[in-house]
Amino acid sequence: MTLSDQDELLLSAFIDGELSSIEAFQFENRLRAEPGLAAALEARRALRTALRADRADDIPSPQLQRRIAGLARKPSSTGSWQSMAASFILGLLLAGGIAWGVIEHGSRQDVTDQVVSAHIRGLMSSAPTDVLSSERHTIKPWFNGRINFAPVVADLSAEGYTLVGARIDVVDLSPVATLVYSRGKHIISVTEMPGAEAPASSTSRNREQGYLLFAWSDGRMRYWAVSDAAPEELERFVKLFQAASSTS
Amino acid sequence: MWYDTTEQARFAEVFTPHLVDAFRLAHWLAGSRADAEDIVQEASMRAFKGISGFAGGDSRAWVLTIVRNTSYSWLAKNRPSALVLAGDLDEQAQSRLDQPDPDPTPEARLIAQVEAETVRKAMAALPAPFREVLVLREIHELSYKAIADIAGLPIGTVMSRIARARRLMLASLGGIAA
Repeated sequence: MTLSDQDELLLSAFIDGELSSIEAFQFENRLRAEPGLAAALEARRALRTALRADRADDIPSPQLQRRIAGLARKPSSTGSWQSMAASFILGLLLAGGIAWGVIEHGSRQDVTDQVVSAHIRGLMSSAPTDVLSSERHTIKPWFNGRINFAPVVADLSAEGYTLVGARIDVVDLSPVATLVYSRGKHIISVTEMPGAEAPASSTSRNREQGYLLFAWSDGRMRYWAVSDAAPEELERFVKLFQAASSTS
Repeated sequence: MWYDTTEQARFAEVFTPHLVDAFRLAHWLAGSRADAEDIVQEASMRAFKGISGFAGGDSRAWVLTIVRNTSYSWLAKNRPSALVLAGDLDEQAQSRLDQPDPDPTPEARLIAQVEAETVRKAMAALPAPFREVLVLREIHELSYKAIADIAGLPIGTVMSRIARARRLMLASLGGIAA
């Protein structure tokens, strides 16, 4: 059969989710009544699947990833900054060995701040996630090639926390994984990056720019959970997430 | 050379998260991984230099716009013969459109068996204006509105080009598979 130009447009707009709900409703009725139209829809869905078939492997080479990362931290300027910081630290150490706590606290504060800022940006943005999916089997491969570690993606839907999607945030100039969960009207961001700053057992909790933040590490990865949910609510989420991540 | 560290941080924040999307767009538009790497490298330099011009908002759209434009300028310079940009539809594509769909139910089955390499070849044969909208829709999963912004087209044109691009691809793959 030959589709009219009008039907061709409708069909495309329908599978792209670009029809209004009324138009989509009418089109669904036509699909049930017209097998030719339904078959044309199937062909277009098959084309979509075929186009996406090698998508997970279609990622830039490690060399290119390194070159771009290098551009983000040119040695000419960060180098001078680092050497300045190093001599500053050395100076402080020589001055009396009081520096460590302050410096360490300072950098941790900074990471916390970046994680919370990313959460806030996500809330304000029209698209709080780069990939929209409640399926952990969709989310996990999506990170492939975007970051160089495998983040924990916990399915907590049975406990009432819906996985909304994921995005890449940048902390200390490195891309990190952020998962977005929702419960009621509250959004919870979980940011993950490799490293083992905090001891495995402790979970620290503080308030930053009005948001509550839990930070912990499992010895391999560092985690931050940020939300405007009630403290006990977020704490429950964190415990569930920790339990799920230790078994997965 | 000296770079402002805040600009570097901004580049890292804006460009790095979209590196995979940038690469995929360049790969589909250029048709080869090696060319795509060159294009993304060049696009990253452009983005780096122009980072102060990024006014905030949708960083992904900003990055993809740069990659799209870089792809075309890179192809015009290095692979001029590969770049079919002229006109709305070339004659060959038009004649393929005029043929009726073959019996479409087996069509879906046939398409499902086509290999990734064949799909890439068929995409490479599409005129660029059709290829880019289909890639931004099917690979990057962008809305018509977002595609219109990136490709600098009216939204109605995006809609009709996507519909026709699908038709062209099905005609091409149906022919190969049959």
